[in-house]
Amino acid sequence: MAKVGVYVCHCGSNIAGVVDVAAVREYAETLPDVVVSREYLFMCSDPGQELIRKDIKDGLVDRVVVAACTPRTHEPIFRKALESAGLNKYFFEMANIRDQDSWVHGDDHAGATRKAKQLVASAVAKAANLEALEDTYVDVTQAAMVVGGGVAGIFAALDLANMGHKVYLVEKEPSIGGVMAQLDKTFPTNDCSACILTPIMVEVGTHPNIEMLTYAEVEDVDGYIGNFKVKVRKKQTYVDWTKCTGCGACAEACPAKVPDSFNCGMNDRGAAYIHFPQAVPKKAVVDMKHCLNCAGHKIGQEPRISKKTGEPMLAPCEKACAADAINRSLPWNPEGELIEIEVGTVVLATGYRVMEKEHFKEYAPDSPNVLTALQMERLISATGPTGGKLLRPSDGKKPKVLDFISCVGSRDIRHHTYCSRVCCMYMIKQARLLMEKYPDLEIYMHFIDVRTPGKDFDEYYTHAAEMGIHFIKGKPGGIEMLPDDRLRVLGYDSAMGENIEVDADLVILATAIELPEDAQKLAQKFSMTMDGSGFFKELHPKLKPVDTPIEGVFLAGCCQGPKDIPDTVAQAKAAAASAAIPLAQKRVKIEPILSEVYPEKCSGCGICVPLCPYNAISLKPYADRPRAVIDMTQCKGCGVCASACPSGAIILHGYTDDQIYSQIAALTQSA
Amino acid sequence: MPTVNLTQMNTHEIIQKVVEFGGDGVVKCIQCGACASICPVSHAGFPLFCKQLIRKVQTGYEEEILDDPSTWACVACNRCVEVCPRGVNPTEVIFAFRRIQANELAISTSSLMSQSNLYEKGHAVLSGESKKLRVKVGLPENPPTSVNDEKAQKEIQTLLDNSPMADLGIF
Ligand SMILES: Cc1cc2nc3c(=O)[nH]c(=O)nc-3n(C[C@H](O)[C@H](O)[C@H](O)COP(=O)(O)OP(=O)(O)OC[C@H]3O[C@@H](n4cnc5c(N)ncnc54)[C@H](O)[C@@H]3O)c2cc1C
Ligand code: SF4
Ligand code: SF4
Repeated sequence: MAKVGVYVCHCGSNIAGVVDVAAVREYAETLPDVVVSREYLFMCSDPGQELIRKDIKDGLVDRVVVAACTPRTHEPIFRKALESAGLNKYFFEMANIRDQDSWVHGDDHAGATRKAKQLVASAVAKAANLEALEDTYVDVTQAAMVVGGGVAGIFAALDLANMGHKVYLVEKEPSIGGVMAQLDKTFPTNDCSACILTPIMVEVGTHPNIEMLTYAEVEDVDGYIGNFKVKVRKKQTYVDWTKCTGCGACAEACPAKVPDSFNCGMNDRGAAYIHFPQAVPKKAVVDMKHCLNCAGHKIGQEPRISKKTGEPMLAPCEKACAADAINRSLPWNPEGELIEIEVGTVVLATGYRVMEKEHFKEYAPDSPNVLTALQMERLISATGPTGGKLLRPSDGKKPKVLDFISCVGSRDIRHHTYCSRVCCMYMIKQARLLMEKYPDLEIYMHFIDVRTPGKDFDEYYTHAAEMGIHFIKGKPGGIEMLPDDRLRVLGYDSAMGENIEVDADLVILATAIELPEDAQKLAQKFSMTMDGSGFFKELHPKLKPVDTPIEGVFLAGCCQGPKDIPDTVAQAKAAAASAAIPLAQKRVKIEPILSEVYPEKCSGCGICVPLCPYNAISLKPYADRPRAVIDMTQCKGCGVCASACPSGAIILHGYTDDQIYSQIAALTQSA
Repeated sequence: MPTVNLTQMNTHEIIQKVVEFGGDGVVKCIQCGACASICPVSHAGFPLFCKQLIRKVQTGYEEEILDDPSTWACVACNRCVEVCPRGVNPTEVIFAFRRIQANELAISTSSLMSQSNLYEKGHAVLSGESKKLRVKVGLPENPPTSVNDEKAQKEIQTLLDNSPMADLGIF
């Protein structure tokens, strides 16, 4: 006979304010197998846990039920208490009478008390049927992967590498750097983005523990914490990077015209190009989708021979390259190369994109003088399309009046309901930088409200107002195109309660930060869940901010939600520290709440194999025929197989049929 | 109210004037409304109480509001100065705007009366009521100030004759 101890928690007034705890405790005493029933203010406190430990040590109980909050946060704490008192820690069951009872039935005390009794009865019934289970351990591969080489990925990779771990940094573009590399100067200190980022990018590029895989993407992920197998596709560059010196001669020679994504499409680059001047690694790639195959020299073919000179006819890129890094005659594989990398932990840092202006028909997106704020960053950057000169795109003239519109696509139920968090500050930044450089500009800024909650941020804003930048509370509803390429912004000043308008040379839209579509695919590969705003979801918004539902996979930067560089770097460092824990522990625990096949009962029908979302099941020969086996390291204990098996051959430990039926029986018969 | 074209407003000019006349806090105002909440001018229902006047100036209004009498209703209680979270000193903005108004002779009649009182007796506000009250509590009818003192009155007049106020030609 099991000796079940029941411990009912008040959780301060969280539970006791609604549920009659004394009544629940008394009721528990009447349940079969229960030998002792106690109540306490905070069961998770040390004296609370001591009640359990003492009863176990005194030989009073050998199964424990705690009726309290959620096992998600508190089960590990109580299991430890059992363990330290010498009892198998899986002889523990929790009844959630807070989240699933007192918190949701606050208006019905009697009903909540009745439900608490039922939940306790069901937990007791299961506890009596619990079996002893043992943890197992597997070794951790001593390497980490960081996906995304923006400022988040850069800092996560550096910290891990500096802790002595091997790091693979996977970046889909030819260079690391991300959006920060596109920025001109950065709030709140206005230091030049390139000046502070480039040295760190170089540090990443030369770090002995970091292997950069740029122009590469994750294709497939297998495995589990400690032992991930990641297939990475290195895209074809058509340039021999061992020879390329990054001189850029090919890019200059290439006659193809492709919108330059680094400059947000405001100028053209060649098909042969270097991502940006401070690229790390500074290597050229040939974008074959836009290559013109000059001189008829297709990839993998011998060049044609000139009838005039008798010499082979080479493409300009080949001719220009003094390092002999471009040889179009070689049989370059268009698929690039697929490599498999084994790592213990992963940090996802794939960042964000800004919404394009085309989504906002009310703001004259067809006018070249309407820009997204990211385009504005490029327009004022010394490495941008105008070399840093503020010129109106329509005619190259110096603008006199600028108008900024905030919350374009953010805080808008037609697009994104969330606040993009950085726009107020970068708009003020751009306005301040422009005002300092061109004091006769008139700058107007429309806000729903100005949000500047960071360190030194509100002072930054106050100063902007004192500089003579005009702040207007009220969101413009439209833009009219005037005949002289100017734009009339139709606004409202809610402080005065009057309609206003601004005739501007340039309008800058602070478009929302969002997750790019390909992030969804990556999410699927890593089994990430998305939050309501479409970003990668952290395990707990407060207590597990960089963890994910997949153990061993962590989040950093804007892929988890919009944030500025200070917050991104802080989160990246947190993710690196968390990702280093399993590496430092060298082995990870596998909890025994897993499915197991009883081969004698298995008919080998194979129904379970395709059902497993983690590909943990395969058919292997056993005695006379193939039967199912479950790879313990892949199984996540979801139980899909156990419920589907027509022969009842699969058992999910911790949730056996006996245990679940006894719970159902107790629920339907009790209180 | 017709739509205001901000680009066509002479914003810097009026802000500059207000700053020169002592209202340099005008650029710091974030329109939180704290001053308005306790302002007797606002409570009495005048349209251009502190916050509203500041916003109009920030927007570049001048001529349009020159004849508005609200500023002359300000009693300089300084409550707005006490509550403003930005150090705007709204009273000073109002007074700066009054100076601009005075220069344009956009002075309310009630205020003209106080100005001539000031010139003649050295007091902007002279009330018959207060005389009775003084007698009732055993004080002389007039306070021991310039009201009784012709020499002092002359001095005040000399001062005012030599101040920019003389140019207004109201005395
Ligand atoms: C106009 C504008 C101005 C700003 N100004 C400032 C400022 O002044 N100060 C400030 O603090 N913040 C500013 N920010 C915010 C700043 O840009 C972000 O905080 C920062 O860039 C976030 O870095 P990240 O690494 O998370 O993302 P990103 O910079 O987006 O980097 C993500 C990286 O991952 C790569 N990647 C994406 N998908 C994959 C994939 N599937 N596989 C491999 N690699 C992938 C991308 O190519 C990119 O290199 C500004 C933002 C905008 C829009
Ligand atoms: S062949 Fe070389 S030079 Fe010509 S378009 Fe292609 S990359 Fe550019
Ligand atoms: S209290 Fe100060 S900041 Fe607020 S509205 Fe009045 S003057 Fe402006």
